[in-house]
Amino acid sequence: METKTPAFAVAPRALALRALAPPSLARLARAVVAMVLVSLPFVAVAAGPVTVKGKTVGGGKLLNPGWNEARDPKLHRFTFREPSVSVRSDVHLLTAFLPKELCVAALVDGGGKALKAPLRVVIAGGRTSPVTLVVAPTQQIQFENQDPFAHKLYVVGADSKGFAATETAPAKSRTWTPPGPGKYEIRDELAPSVRSWIVVEPHVVSIGYPDRKGDFQIDLDPGPYKLRGYFNGEPVGAELPITIAPLPVEQPLKLPLAVGEVDAPAPVPGKLGPKGASKAPGPAPHGGGD
Amino acid sequence: MLLSRFWNVLLTLALGAAAFTLFVASEMYNHAGTRAMSDALTADSHAVDWYLRDDSRKHAAATINIALSPQIGEGLAKATGDAKIDRDTRAKVKAALTKLAGEVDPELKFDALWAVDANGRVVANVGFEHAEDWELGGYAAVADAIHGWIRDDAWVWRGRIYRVVARPVEREAQGEPVGAIIGAKIVDDNFARGVTRRTGAAVGFYADGARVASGAPEGFDKANLDEITSDLKALEKDKDYQEKGRSETRVLGQHLGVIYARLPGEAWDLGAGYAVGHRATSVGSPGDFLTQADNNDKEKVPTYRIIAVVAALVLLGLILSFVEHNRPLNTFRTEALRLAKGEIDVLSPSRFRGLYKKIAADLNDGMEKVAAKGGAPRRAADLEQVLGPIPSQPSMSAFSVPGGPASGHPSVEPPSRSAPRPPGADRSAPRLRQSGQSGQIPAVGVPSAPAPGPTEAEAAEAFDVRMSAPTPEVQRGPAPAPPRRAPPAPLAQSSSVLSLPAVGDEFDEVADWRRVYEEFLALKRQCGEDTSSLTFEKFKGTLQRNKDALVARHNCNRVKFTVYVKEGKAALKASPVK
Repeated sequence: METKTPAFAVAPRALALRALAPPSLARLARAVVAMVLVSLPFVAVAAGPVTVKGKTVGGGKLLNPGWNEARDPKLHRFTFREPSVSVRSDVHLLTAFLPKELCVAALVDGGGKALKAPLRVVIAGGRTSPVTLVVAPTQQIQFENQDPFAHKLYVVGADSKGFAATETAPAKSRTWTPPGPGKYEIRDELAPSVRSWIVVEPHVVSIGYPDRKGDFQIDLDPGPYKLRGYFNGEPVGAELPITIAPLPVEQPLKLPLAVGEVDAPAPVPGKLGPKGASKAPGPAPHGGGD
Repeated sequence: MLLSRFWNVLLTLALGAAAFTLFVASEMYNHAGTRAMSDALTADSHAVDWYLRDDSRKHAAATINIALSPQIGEGLAKATGDAKIDRDTRAKVKAALTKLAGEVDPELKFDALWAVDANGRVVANVGFEHAEDWELGGYAAVADAIHGWIRDDAWVWRGRIYRVVARPVEREAQGEPVGAIIGAKIVDDNFARGVTRRTGAAVGFYADGARVASGAPEGFDKANLDEITSDLKALEKDKDYQEKGRSETRVLGQHLGVIYARLPGEAWDLGAGYAVGHRATSVGSPGDFLTQADNNDKEKVPTYRIIAVVAALVLLGLILSFVEHNRPLNTFRTEALRLAKGEIDVLSPSRFRGLYKKIAADLNDGMEKVAAKGGAPRRAADLEQVLGPIPSQPSMSAFSVPGGPASGHPSVEPPSRSAPRPPGADRSAPRLRQSGQSGQIPAVGVPSAPAPGPTEAEAAEAFDVRMSAPTPEVQRGPAPAPPRRAPPAPLAQSSSVLSLPAVGDEFDEVADWRRVYEEFLALKRQCGEDTSSLTFEKFKGTLQRNKDALVARHNCNRVKFTVYVKEGKAALKASPVK
């Protein structure tokens, strides 16, 4: 399952399609006109965004911080917790749900531009969708409550950054514009499992989300980009420089986007950097509780 | 009065000790009640905790059949692979889920069931209305189940507590779960009653700062648990509650003890939990022991023994009071009455005890002084009225002079002090012959030879009449028979009759009284009495009073005083001499 991404405005340079200037001979002019007419459909197609298809690697090492925190018996989140013996042991690792938690961002050297329409973030089922969102500065975000009960989202920190805990009733929404570049952690006073991150990245032009297998696609205008995975509000893995040609409209990436060290131990959530990785916590002991 | 006072002090001390003991007992009772309440609360809180844990496992076990359903497994597997779940899949899973939910043991019946795919999306549900494309994948319990864990949780939605269990749905051994079954039980009054039924505890569940459910055993008013709502704010400062999840015993109102415990799960962080309550048995005052005691308590009290002890103590107190208060008072009253009637001239301090002895002595002294001053100025009394019919013949009077330490002086008051002394009374009196001629006093207790009595003429004119107690015959009876030869004066043991100078002789009354005084002292010493406080002046005063009284009564010239032993004590006898 691949996830289509919200489209961000692309830098004018990336959007420009330059036509070549023809010579002024009559025959040549007719020929040029004919060629233009013939090639117009192709030019029109090439002027649109190109769908870039790629694959992330190392996503299996990304661990959801909230779920792994909740398995700590000292936090009293359960009275019993034990593995099903008929489930393969590696499955017990509480890896991140990539379609919502791993954000693949396309960065440019210039500045990204915010969309005119607010970006939509859904609150439902104990989390937001997406969990990590990378946006350009001044991007407005709309939080929609699709749960049948209220939520009270807020920005973690002494300064609420204009996003203090306010109740959002079911089927209602609230909007917020992050004040500037940086990472903002969002939590919910009424749902401890909700932990989201808004990353305001000045160079982002487009984002995408992988499916459960790590495959993703992202719409980009032709041009050079750097792909980068964001997880828990932090960049993870390594940047992947790519150059998008005008054609074809779907361009698979030859190299995977590393979002974690493939063979390295799983990173600690929130601490994973481009060069850093650390040993991931293993499954919690059987049982548990206080 | 010493014993009575001691008894009063003893009773007061006993009363004070009893009151003190009662207050101490009530404090100990309250303390013990609070401690017992605290112990009971701790036990109840743990019992509820154990019940909830056990209940979670039972509910988790109840999801096994549902998770093993092929229809559900197939539907969830298909949904997991689809970008959009088709309606057919949803319908099939819902049908299977509904059927299996109905087969759950009624004791473990879920209020809501969800079947979610591996993406966390709800494919089908029972008992909970929400949007079709809803999901639950963000919850740790659901994520755990999708990752092959079985666990429980507690969520708080819309102010209600949902106790949740999650189990993975697997299609093949050692594979990945294709989804999970999530079961939820709403904590409501029914659930709380079930907790109470199994644990015997009065329990109230709270969330969002309000009580959401409660159950209480018989005899415990559930309304008491409403008080926890007002106390929930204060829990924020309870260190044990914040850190360990269970508070110390908190007392609400006067006697309601409460222990709060947080519910494991997300509810832990949302401030949801439960409180067990227990009313402390306490008394506000010692009197509450009686009001709070039931018949069984009262029957175990040794009532009859207590009544017997109280009765014995009351009786003892009455006896002491009678012995030390009533009896001396009665004696004093009787003697005072006799004095008032003129039966005696003076009070006999030796007959009294304690303070009455001193009072009698003081009264005698007072009367003596009044008499020494010539009596109170008043009109002449009618002798007939005061003394009764005065016998035509002179009479003899005897009186005793107590000689104890408290009354070392003669304490006899002269009777009829108001009687005026007859003017021109003939002071001549028949001579009395002194016994033994030398005033020798026979030994006490040794019968002495009949003492030579007064002369016949003198004896014939004397008859033995107690001055302080004139017999009715003497007062009201007919005139006494003509004097005849009287027998010797009836001395109790011995008597010394003093010889008086012959009429017409120069009679030195003071010397005579001094001699009588000496003999009286000697006799008192012989009788073993104390004579230290008996001075001649006091002695003389006594003799003078008696003489005056007899002279006034009998119109005699003199009074003859003799010493004798009466009942082992020295006594004086006065006889009028015409």
